[in-house]
Amino acid sequence: MFQKILIANRGEIALRVLRACKELGIQTVVVHSTADSDAMHVRLADESVCIGPPPSRESYLNIHQIVAACEITGADAVHPGYGFLSENAKFADILAAHNITFIGPSGDHIRIMGDKIEAKRTAKRLGIPVVPGSDGAISEEKEAKRVAAEIGYPVIIKASAGGGGRGMKVALTEADLEVALQTAKSEAGAAFGDDAVYIEKYLQKPRHIEVQVFGDGAGHGVHFGERDCSLQRRHQKVWEEANSPALNAEERSRIGGICATAIADLGYSGAGTIEFLYENGEFYFIEMNTRLQVEHPVTEAITGIDLVHEQIRVASGGGLSVRQEDIKFNGHAIECRINAEDPRTFTPSPGTITHFHTPGGLGIRVDSGVYSGYKIPPYYDSLIGKLIVHGRNRVECMMRLRRALDEFVVDGIKTTLPLFRDLVGNPDIANGDYDIHWLEEYLAKGE
Amino acid sequence: MSIKKNGVDQQLIRDLAGILNDTNLTEIEVELGDLKVRVSRQAQAVHTVAAPLPAIAAGSLAAAQPGAVAPAAGADLSKNAIPSPMVGTAYLAPSPDAKPFVEIGQKVKEGQTLLIIEAMKTMNQIPSPRAGTVTAVLIEDAQPVEYGMPLVVIE
Repeated sequence: MFQKILIANRGEIALRVLRACKELGIQTVVVHSTADSDAMHVRLADESVCIGPPPSRESYLNIHQIVAACEITGADAVHPGYGFLSENAKFADILAAHNITFIGPSGDHIRIMGDKIEAKRTAKRLGIPVVPGSDGAISEEKEAKRVAAEIGYPVIIKASAGGGGRGMKVALTEADLEVALQTAKSEAGAAFGDDAVYIEKYLQKPRHIEVQVFGDGAGHGVHFGERDCSLQRRHQKVWEEANSPALNAEERSRIGGICATAIADLGYSGAGTIEFLYENGEFYFIEMNTRLQVEHPVTEAITGIDLVHEQIRVASGGGLSVRQEDIKFNGHAIECRINAEDPRTFTPSPGTITHFHTPGGLGIRVDSGVYSGYKIPPYYDSLIGKLIVHGRNRVECMMRLRRALDEFVVDGIKTTLPLFRDLVGNPDIANGDYDIHWLEEYLAKGE
Repeated sequence: MSIKKNGVDQQLIRDLAGILNDTNLTEIEVELGDLKVRVSRQAQAVHTVAAPLPAIAAGSLAAAQPGAVAPAAGADLSKNAIPSPMVGTAYLAPSPDAKPFVEIGQKVKEGQTLLIIEAMKTMNQIPSPRAGTVTAVLIEDAQPVEYGMPLVVIE
């Protein structure tokens, strides 16, 4: 086991990792920017090292400084949390070269999953269902028509070099295809200097369902069920729950089994999440995140297993503490991401928290690094805490969530708590009847 | 440092300080009922008054290092202290046997090397940002330093 772990992150996740280290009897070092000198994780760590000024680029993303902090403190492993350097293959490689363990997968696995095309190719090879589409770039209309007919309308044409929605056009029927192809090509050319495009099946009302997996690096893989993260705004998850209201035990076991086998075959080590769009009973691979997710406590609530403990065990060569048959799903859990943002306009609201009171009682967990009097720095993301509620079934969980949201008090700044109080009383949410567009449509109606 | 009661028995502190010197200890703590007195000595307290560190929390690197500089008043000094531009191990001389790069009272030119900081097996020379006189060296040789920690005072 490790003697001393350096936590290369900030906010609630740094505190989350610190708690796991303490429970395992491992010394902790945190690194922080000058803006975070009085943060909770800095106060609670055994040692702390200031690594730079407020901008992330010069502190939390500064590999050189973080490795130097490992050297002066004698840390033998680094937990990257999520965001920042957690999916940076170069960071994993540099740590390995310095004989410091990166608590996560190998640099090569990070690299594969970080490349959209390579990730999809690998997923396909491992037997994970992917969105059907053209294998490569399409330029001729005739070829486009053939591919579209094969995968079925509607289809979407996307720029190969793309991102951010540019160079993306939907064709609902064959009649739309020619215009969509030409528009996508010219947009792609203008935006990315490369007019290569490809075709994929277009999903109209999918849910976002992701499977939590773990590999031990020695050819074994397990899954911890799924999380439903369909409630999103601008591709940011807002509300996550497990189990998904849309899946039954058979579907869960089928997709989970596929993912666990894939992870084992890949020889993957540590925690990962395989994300899917789900529509009409079918799963379509989006991407794999090679790190701990923000919403991992939802899975911990229904399985009773501490995923950060497992990460540390696996990274230290101790293997997983559980086999697939030991992982049981008990009840229902929901997580709300509390952001320092206006609940309607979502403009960030940094400032001083004058009063902070968290809910308590059975089935309630609050992961947060803030406290009364804490000043939220303007340099980082707006997540100030996560409320995770567990109940024996979804109804009990929703009632408990409603009660917990009423107890939660954050004064001095604006937060997204009022949004969750609205959502918990909404009939669609109560019925679990929502897809990835639901929240944005709901917010648009409210304006 | 931690005195929990006003109207402190000064003689007690003098006695403790005497014992500290006689025994060559760095710290003595005595608790008598409600009164708790700790007398401690910092290694470089002889030749320096430290600039205030930016809000060092309990358990931080500076506090954990035995030779670290205790935060103290000295607003004027902080302006003139050169903060560490990086994390690493600071060395005052180019090699263990060599003379230090700078000594107290020495005049330095802008750009002159004040010390080196080793990080990731590379030696980084830390140049003086301005000309002046070295009035204090706030760190010990081979001491780990964090970003922003005051290294040397140049007036």
